[in-house]
Amino acid sequence: MKKKLVSALLISTMALTAFVGCGEKKEEKPAEGGSGTESQGEVSSEDAIANLIASTEGTVDIELWCSETEAYQKVMKERCDAFEAQYPDVDFNITIGSVSEADMKDKILEDPEKAADVFVFPDDQLEALVKAGAINEIQAQYTYKIDEVDTETTIEPGSYDGKQYGYPFTASNGYFLYYDSSALSEEDVASWEALTAKADELGKQVGFEVANGWYLYGWFAGAGCSLTENADMSNNCDWNSEAGLAAAESLAKVTSAKSFKSYGNDDLLANLNDGKVVAYVSGTWNVNAFADAYGDGYAAAKLPTFDVNGEAKQMGSYCGYKYVGVNSFAANKGWSMLLAEFLSNEESQVAVYKATGEGPSNKAALAEASSPALDALAEQSYYATLQRVGGNYWTPAESLGKNILEGNVSQQLLDDAVAGIEQPVDAAQ
Amino acid sequence: MKNFFRKRAVSLKECGSAVKNGDIWVKLSLLIMGMGYFGRKQILKGILMILLEVGVIASLVSVFLPYMSKLSTLGTVQREMIFDPLTMSETVNDYDNSLLILLYGIIGILIIIAFIALYIGNIKAVYRLQEMKKNGGHINSFKEDLMSFKNDKFHITLLTIPAIGVIIINVIPILFMICIAFTNYDETHQPPAYLFTWVGIKNFVRLFTNSQTLTFGYTFVRVLAWTLIWAVLATATTFIGGILLAQFINHEHTMAKGLWRTLFVITIGIPQFVTLLLVGKMFGDYGIVNTICENVGILDFFKHIGLLKQSAGYIPFLSQPGWAHVTIILVNIWVGVPYQMLVATGILMNIPSDQIESAKIDGATKFQTFWKITMPYVLFITGPSLIQSVIQNINNFNVIYLLTHTYKTTNMALANSNANEVDLLITWLFRLTNEYSNFKMASVIGIITFLISAALSLLTFSRMIGGDKEEVYR
Amino acid sequence: MKKTSKIVARHIFLALLAFIWLIPIIWLVVTTFSAQKGINTNHFFPEHWTLANYHQLFFEPDSAANFPAWFKNSMIIGVCCCIISSLFVIMTAYAFSFLRFKGRKQLMSFSLILGMFPGVLSMIAIYFVLKLIGLTDSLLGLIVVYSGASGLGYLILKGFFDTIPVSLHEAAKLEGASEATIFSRIVVPLSKPMIVYTVINSFLNPWMDFVMARLMIKSKDPSQWTMAIGLFNLLQRALINQYFAYFCCGGLMVALPIAILFIVMQKFYVEGVTGGAVKG
Repeated sequence: MKKKLVSALLISTMALTAFVGCGEKKEEKPAEGGSGTESQGEVSSEDAIANLIASTEGTVDIELWCSETEAYQKVMKERCDAFEAQYPDVDFNITIGSVSEADMKDKILEDPEKAADVFVFPDDQLEALVKAGAINEIQAQYTYKIDEVDTETTIEPGSYDGKQYGYPFTASNGYFLYYDSSALSEEDVASWEALTAKADELGKQVGFEVANGWYLYGWFAGAGCSLTENADMSNNCDWNSEAGLAAAESLAKVTSAKSFKSYGNDDLLANLNDGKVVAYVSGTWNVNAFADAYGDGYAAAKLPTFDVNGEAKQMGSYCGYKYVGVNSFAANKGWSMLLAEFLSNEESQVAVYKATGEGPSNKAALAEASSPALDALAEQSYYATLQRVGGNYWTPAESLGKNILEGNVSQQLLDDAVAGIEQPVDAAQ
Repeated sequence: MKNFFRKRAVSLKECGSAVKNGDIWVKLSLLIMGMGYFGRKQILKGILMILLEVGVIASLVSVFLPYMSKLSTLGTVQREMIFDPLTMSETVNDYDNSLLILLYGIIGILIIIAFIALYIGNIKAVYRLQEMKKNGGHINSFKEDLMSFKNDKFHITLLTIPAIGVIIINVIPILFMICIAFTNYDETHQPPAYLFTWVGIKNFVRLFTNSQTLTFGYTFVRVLAWTLIWAVLATATTFIGGILLAQFINHEHTMAKGLWRTLFVITIGIPQFVTLLLVGKMFGDYGIVNTICENVGILDFFKHIGLLKQSAGYIPFLSQPGWAHVTIILVNIWVGVPYQMLVATGILMNIPSDQIESAKIDGATKFQTFWKITMPYVLFITGPSLIQSVIQNINNFNVIYLLTHTYKTTNMALANSNANEVDLLITWLFRLTNEYSNFKMASVIGIITFLISAALSLLTFSRMIGGDKEEVYR
Repeated sequence: MKKTSKIVARHIFLALLAFIWLIPIIWLVVTTFSAQKGINTNHFFPEHWTLANYHQLFFEPDSAANFPAWFKNSMIIGVCCCIISSLFVIMTAYAFSFLRFKGRKQLMSFSLILGMFPGVLSMIAIYFVLKLIGLTDSLLGLIVVYSGASGLGYLILKGFFDTIPVSLHEAAKLEGASEATIFSRIVVPLSKPMIVYTVINSFLNPWMDFVMARLMIKSKDPSQWTMAIGLFNLLQRALINQYFAYFCCGGLMVALPIAILFIVMQKFYVEGVTGGAVKG
């Protein structure tokens, strides 16, 4: 505690001297208080960065955590080097750690004080990070303005309670259907019924991970059911309605096909490599695996429709985004914020798109990006919703999915699932 | 317990009379701990004592007392920071960290207790010196004092460092976690950004209540039942399996005994996090075992005899209750039998052969000798260690976690409490802390697990250290 | 005639059992030679054989896998813990077995009670204690964690010491030997097998543990990890399909030193385990 106080004091005195030093040169500059709001022009941003450079002594240590895949690590390393090159007067020591994105919040919350200063995370983890006070609110921006350069849909999910926390990074964290166009026609992938029938005929496999709330939501959403989050982070869910039951029954029918498989990611990839899977619901993180496996036949499309009482319903989905966040316990907050901005700017997003195939959130970068996967995602985006759901959704939804896979659909099952999903937040604690 | 307090009272009384009858040096050491030794010309010892006293008091005042004073609330000032966009710098207020307050508080209390004990001991020791001087006894020089650590006080030499290790790595964390059970430390109260505070026994009440949304009561009973069944079954199966295997290998007609033993022992040699993860993958829903079962028709056979639904696409070895329970026990046999075989081999080698010989002469079959002589003998010898291994299995984290960390439950009530059918108390609490940051309930479960283990241990307690058994062996 | 067939049957049965026990190990070994880097769920034996995985294991560390560094870290921890823990255990066991002092029984009861607390629970607290001392994320910290509380594991060795005749102890004392001399000159040489057993166990404990290491090392730089963390990490969903064969190679390399140790020391180990069981 004491140490912290001293360092806080030190920083503020350092900042103060820097401030005075600059003040001599530019007399017209307004004194603190409300001067740094986003409405400020470019001039003050440059000043702020100049202030920061002037007040920086010694090496700046920044730790960055991002996905452990090799492509990611490589491109992030390049971008960090470019960042260092941009400020030649400052001595940086940027270390990049590999953390699976799905575990990012768990790893950070283990001990926020020891966690990375800058990290890349998917939007569904924002709430937990904010709740634990581990992520820094973006109170000022210096090199670009989020609301000017990023597509509108990507900004909102990075905010919470009206405050912006995440720098939009990629906009392709949703899911769609990959398929092998040498085996399946466009009609085949239009509906689950046609798809499973054709796959049964071919003796191949198709499917999506049913025992996973993230994907399962798409089915119920497509059937017109709703799942929303309340202010206290509990959920509202009407999946036990008539429509929900019909959706669950139709899902059970589809999954009972011999060709339908509900694979987790590793089983999916193993069977994909074995040439067994001809169509599967997945996301851009697997783009290389599918492209390799299908070769010339590689294709992607929006999710298929499904049949409820003779009516074709379009399967919905969650759209997912990734953000760059700054740890609220970061030692070099100024530099961490600048690095986060740099990593999420247009140039970086283009580089990341080229390296990993993930779609940019930046408007200009998005214009440059085009691939079957991103086109499919864009097509699906009309049926996709933002992921806003309380933490009590996941486990019950997982169980529900598993029950449906086993064919145990009943009103009772849905009632129980909804009770679990809707349970008050404090009760489970 | 009573005995403990009586002893403390006696000790205090001795101390009181020491002060009353002590001379000026003894009275001075009430204030300055080393003084009594100066009076008896033990200068070095005196200086050491003074340094110790100063050190303890200084560290208490400068480090621990500020935290200890907040122990009753666990802190009131929440972290706030003010960011200055112009200088890109940030000021943080002087906030409280509930976690550090609790931790420093516990350590501070331990230091105070230790210091009081030392203080009383010091006065008594100084008074003893005074008496010795009066009676003309020999007073040790510093060198002689040091030498005594090689003889009369050798136990202090031996035990001090291991004891400090145990206190740091064991005692303090345990005390800390016990305290957590009485706070609201969970997902929404995580230091350093937020504070947590005392809530009394609310968490214990919660563990035993049950409603549609609050299912801890139901879950606890289910998990506890499986934990106990698992512990007994796991111990029994590996134990019997181990003896049978050892008996089989040790049989007079078995050739190359060492080779066979080595083959089985190899499985112990590979770390569990490798073998169990591997076995878990093999028995996965789409794992290699399922592929083979499907190809040779076992899957269809199970469907035929009604073990599986017609629609099943795989055998749910580790993904459905019942199936998973059996698989876990079987895999545990695979893991545990080689080890038990080693134990049993050692015991069987020492079995009194005359009994077996005479049984043979009486015309007993091999089977009879095994059940009537070998088994009772082995049971007699390993009885207490069996209960120990039941306790170990209650806390057997590795086997369950590594095999089933991807298990998904279909039971809504269990799912609502973040548990599943194959969870032991220990894996449940691990999940609660690691994935759900629910430290308070995890601590409650931990305390209950401890109580169960302790109750079981009472059965063996007396036999292990009670009585004078240890002398009898010699 | 009947007898020979019975003996043959006995050996066939044993061979069958041993085969079942070795299946996972065989799978581990053959997968290390698999050209397919991911997990192969459809064939027991790899379709294409290669040594590339071993080459990658030893010579091509990358951003996710750095086996040479893990091996080094684990080795350092293992050896240090082995020395410290063995010393602690021997010292504690000796004190409780041979010396009679005030509070001995109470201390022993206390240590038994401590041992009953679920270790998983206190791990988080241990992490904060370590952080307080400033030892997280370091090999030294892990060494402290693994060996610090090892004194509690004295029971088995004490059971063995209890069988050493008191007369020996007393005779030496009469001849003027100090407790320290008796300890190092008489007791230690007499209990060699048990001490070997203690040493092996002290090495294996940190070598095989993964839960504690995962909690204590927060660094995301693979070169800072131990073998257990590193290998466990390779089975994550994003990595398993690139690194499963690598994982198997690593697993085999972890096992090799232990397997050799076990086979060589089997006799000692049997005595050790048995001593523990008998004396409990």
